[in-house]
Amino acid sequence: MNKVIVDRNSNLDLSTLDSELSFEFGSGESFLYLHDLKSDNNLNFELFENSILYLSIFADNALENAKITANLGKNSKIVVYFADFSVEKNKLDATINLNDEGATCEWHLASLSSNKDNKDIVVNIYHNHPSTFGRIDNYGVCKDEGKLQFSGISYILKGCHQSKSHQNAKIVVFDNDCVAKAKPVLKIDENDIEASHAASVGKVSDEHIFYLTSRGLNLEEAKMLITLGYLKPILKGFNESIQGEIDALIERRLSNV
Amino acid sequence: MATLKINDLHVQVEGKEILKGVSFSMSEGETVALLGPNGHGKSTLFNAIMGHPRYKITQGSIYLDDVDLTHMTTDQRARAGLFLGLQNPAEVPGVINSDFLRAAVNATSEERISTYKFYKLLDSATKELKMPFDLATRSLNEGFSGGEKKRNEILQLMLLNPKIAMLDEIDSGLDVDAIQTVADVINKLEGEGKGFLVISHYARLFDLIKPTRAIVMVNGKIVLDGDPSLIKRIDQTGYEFIKAELGINIEKEENKMNEVSIGSCAVRESIKK
Repeated sequence: MNKVIVDRNSNLDLSTLDSELSFEFGSGESFLYLHDLKSDNNLNFELFENSILYLSIFADNALENAKITANLGKNSKIVVYFADFSVEKNKLDATINLNDEGATCEWHLASLSSNKDNKDIVVNIYHNHPSTFGRIDNYGVCKDEGKLQFSGISYILKGCHQSKSHQNAKIVVFDNDCVAKAKPVLKIDENDIEASHAASVGKVSDEHIFYLTSRGLNLEEAKMLITLGYLKPILKGFNESIQGEIDALIERRLSNV
Repeated sequence: MATLKINDLHVQVEGKEILKGVSFSMSEGETVALLGPNGHGKSTLFNAIMGHPRYKITQGSIYLDDVDLTHMTTDQRARAGLFLGLQNPAEVPGVINSDFLRAAVNATSEERISTYKFYKLLDSATKELKMPFDLATRSLNEGFSGGEKKRNEILQLMLLNPKIAMLDEIDSGLDVDAIQTVADVINKLEGEGKGFLVISHYARLFDLIKPTRAIVMVNGKIVLDGDPSLIKRIDQTGYEFIKAELGINIEKEENKMNEVSIGSCAVRESIKK
C-alpha cells in the first residue's frame, strides 16, 4: 500500500499509484483533487483533529468496486464533491465514520447515467460519537437505457445525541428504458438528534417546464436547463480549468436529449 | 397597439369544464382588474391563455391582434408577447436565476443580448425592485420567501418586455412597502404602453395601480365588464349584488375534502358508543 503525503493543494494522478491508498490530514485546510479513479481503488482518508479536507473527485472512465473510507477525528470536516461521469459502470461504496465530537461530513455527488451505464452508488455515514454532523446530497440524471441507484444509510448509534444527519437523493429520468432508484435510509438508535431524508425519482416536472416555457424558452431549452440544474451545481467543487472540462463533458453527453 | 381577444373560451381541467364561454378583449395601455369569487375560473383563464397543458381548450379562441394563439405552445405565446406572473411560482433547484433570466431574455428578444448589457439590465431592475442582487445568483425561487418569489416574477416581467401581462395575486405575500414598489413598476410599465390583466383579492393593490376597467367572472363566465368603480363596490359589499341585479346564482365552490375524513369517522364512532 502506498502512503501519500499530500500538500495543501494537490492534484493526484491515481493511474500511477497502487489501487490501495491511504491519506492522512493534520489540522488546517487541505484541498485534494483526484482524477481517474480506477476499478478496485480503495482510498482511505484519516482526518485528525481540526483538519478540513476538500476532496474533489472527477470520474470519467469505468469504475468497478471502488471504495472510499474516511475516518474523522475531533472537529474535523470532510467536504466531498464527486462528479460522476464514469461510463459503463460505477460501483462505488463510500463509508464515512464520524468518530469524535464535531466531526462533519458534507457529501455532494452528481451522476449521469446514459447509454447502457449501470451505476450503483452507496454512501454510508456512521455517527459514532455525540455531536456529529452528516449531509448527503446525491443528484442524478438517467437517460437512454441507463441504470442508476443511489442508496445510503445514515447510522446514528445509541448515545450519539445532538447529532444531525440529512440525506437528499434526486434523479431525473428521461427515457422509458431507464431504471432509477433512490433509497435514502436512516437508522437511528437515539432520541435527541435531528435527521431527515428526501428522495425523488421522476420525469422533469410539468410545472417546472410550464414555468420556464412561459418565459419564452422552448421545450428543449427548458428541459436542458432543468437537467443541467441537477448536474452543474457540482462544478463549484472544482477549480476553473476542471470546471470547463466537466462543463464541456456535460454539454456533450446531454446534447442528444 | 396589441389587443388580446378571447372569444367563447371553454376550458376543461381533468375532464371538468371550468370556463364555460369566456369572451372579452383588452389592449395595451389598459389595466384591467379581473374580479370574482374563489374557484370561479380566474386563475384557470390565465393558465389557459398562457397554454398550460393541463388546461384543455375545448372551444373558442385566443387572439393577440390577428395571430391565433389558441393552438400555440406556451413558449410561442410568450414570444408573441404574453406574460403570466404566477400565484405560486415553482422552485427549480439547481437552475441559477440569472442563467434562466438570460435564456428567457434571449428567447423573447430578436437578437442575443451581450453579457455586459444583460447584467446592466439585471442590476438596474433589481435595484428598482429593491431586491438584493444575490437573489439573481441563487437557484430559481429555491428557498425564496413568498415576497421574494413575487418580486422575482416582477423582475422577469421587467426583463422580458411583454405586450400584455397577466398577474395572478402578485400582491399576496408582499408587505406594504413591497406592494408599493411593485405598483410603481406596474404604473411605469403601463405608462410605457403595456397592458395588464390583474387578479387580486385586495383593494390596496388596485388603489395603487388604478385599473382602467374591471371585469367580473362568475361560474366560468364574464358576467360584468365595466368601469373601475366595480372594484370598490365589490370590496365593500361582496358579490351578492350580482345575484340580485343580474339574476345569476353564484355556484358555491365545491368541497374538495374527502367526504369521509378522519374527523368525521371519529365523531361517528363516538356517537355509536
